[in-house]
Amino acid sequence: MPAALGSMNGWVDVGRGLVSREIFVTDEVYRMEMERIFDRTWVFLAHETEIPTAGDYVSRTLGSAPVIVVRDADGMLHGLLNSCRHRGAKICRADSGNARNFVCPYHGWTYEMSGRLVTTTFDKHFPKDFDFSLHGLARVPRLETHKGLIFGSWNADVVPLEDYLGDIAWYIDPFLARTQQGMEVLAPPHRWRAKSNWKVGALNFVGDSQHILTTHVGPLTLDPVRAARAGFATAAENSFQVVTDQGHGCTLTYLAPGLPEDAYQTHPRDLEPLYAKLLSADQFQLLKRLRVIVGTIFPNLSFIETQVGPAQKAVIVRQWQPVSGTEMEVFSWVVAEKEASTDYKSQVLRKGFHNFGAAGVFEQDDMELWASATYASNNPVAKQLPYSFHTALPYINAPEKDHKWPGRAFKPADTEVAQLEFMRQWDRCMKAGV
Amino acid sequence: MNPAEWHPVDDATYLQIQRFLFREAALLDRRDYAGWLALTADDIRYRVNAMVSRDAGVAEVDYAIVDEDRLGLKSRIDQISNPRLTRAENPPSMTRRVVSNIEAYDGASAEQFQANSYLLAYRSRPSLPEGGFYVAERRDVLRRTAAGWRLARRDVHLDQVILFDGALSTLL
Repeated sequence: MPAALGSMNGWVDVGRGLVSREIFVTDEVYRMEMERIFDRTWVFLAHETEIPTAGDYVSRTLGSAPVIVVRDADGMLHGLLNSCRHRGAKICRADSGNARNFVCPYHGWTYEMSGRLVTTTFDKHFPKDFDFSLHGLARVPRLETHKGLIFGSWNADVVPLEDYLGDIAWYIDPFLARTQQGMEVLAPPHRWRAKSNWKVGALNFVGDSQHILTTHVGPLTLDPVRAARAGFATAAENSFQVVTDQGHGCTLTYLAPGLPEDAYQTHPRDLEPLYAKLLSADQFQLLKRLRVIVGTIFPNLSFIETQVGPAQKAVIVRQWQPVSGTEMEVFSWVVAEKEASTDYKSQVLRKGFHNFGAAGVFEQDDMELWASATYASNNPVAKQLPYSFHTALPYINAPEKDHKWPGRAFKPADTEVAQLEFMRQWDRCMKAGV
Repeated sequence: MNPAEWHPVDDATYLQIQRFLFREAALLDRRDYAGWLALTADDIRYRVNAMVSRDAGVAEVDYAIVDEDRLGLKSRIDQISNPRLTRAENPPSMTRRVVSNIEAYDGASAEQFQANSYLLAYRSRPSLPEGGFYVAERRDVLRRTAAGWRLARRDVHLDQVILFDGALSTLL
């Protein structure tokens, strides 16, 4: 066997820009992640517009547990373990629906939308001291929203969601909450399995500018929107990555200086004034001449806004749900401003998933390469060789001094700083859990 | 049109439709995408729909994961048929499309026909050597023209909520 590159200091060696392969391919690490990250921190569950009316619910996963996210008659949101307190059957076996109460299909235990047990259908046979109030569906102890995004946590003591999001909120709001009425999901999420570790997706979106020209040469060559415009490389000089203290990050790529702005770089003209009303002047400035923003909220929620036509921007919300050490399920929503016209919504939906979705022209190549990396790394010889994050090293201790916006900014955009910072946060969580 | 009012085509037309469906499946399996695209109408709409699992009796929700006009289709084909422009299809997937249970009806005009069929499409690829299946119903609109039969509309309805392996990079 080849000699490993010296002994690493743990799984993530930020100082040397090395990350163990082991953590991208082993089920044991996946199980530890479930305990130390996914059961302790905030995890995205759903968008509020997926369950707009009373009784609407979606079935999702929080950590490794199936949960129901439901809106009750008073408009309150609840997160419930999707497993009957009697004998464990799944209460909601559909992906989504509308209910007045939840009746277990196995023996008939019936719950309110808050999870409270109403009847077992055999109440008369229960001991007199049986306390119904203690036998409701297990509630997700913390459920909070940030401008339409519903997060849950199994950790009752987790910090408030706004504190957890921290500085990244300043960067996601101009894309996920920029008009008075907010964004809405345009269709159910695309869902697919990928034979790849979930962190590969999270890293790809937090700031992997280096894969774009090689992995995505196809769509970059063929897409008239992109092909007609200045290349990615020329724009990199005034683009940057942002890293926040919580390990969240994003990469913003701007139109190269000197190139005239035209319809291919602009947001919809009729919606822009609405952004200006809601966003701060600096947040509005962030949008100008922006070509692409892509980012990840630790651990597994990502988003991207990209140009899909003249004055058309598709905003995609993406979740990398771990399934095992070597597999994930991807959820992908296209969202748009509620105020946008029906025609605009249908266009950005169609063009959005043409690029980024279950059959996306970008996704098909990503998924193939991520699966191949997972396969090729999952053997004793390869596992001794850490992944390289070396291009972070010359920059990671040198954030932009004159960055006037939240978080730490790093230039240029095409280094691995945000990815290594993501891994640093991952390592912190894993160690804190010991 | 209410399916109960659909009129089955005559046997001669049925055979032509069957022959067309078998031929275009073979073209796709041989990755003769140019040949396949030549069999599509200029105004083609090509959609692939996935399912959402819902309780029985509740309105089904299916939604597109692919929705292309001819330009979009051509762009997909230009990507997957050019070895320099694709990672997912270089080396190419191996595919086998089994088309069966064809039902054909008179369509909206004398030259247009509704053709529904079942599709079982096997695919294996470098990252998935064991292969996997897409299972679907196709609802096609076929048009008889002076130049031959053309595919005018295809709605592929997958019997799948979650795609089994990565992103779909082939045509169904």
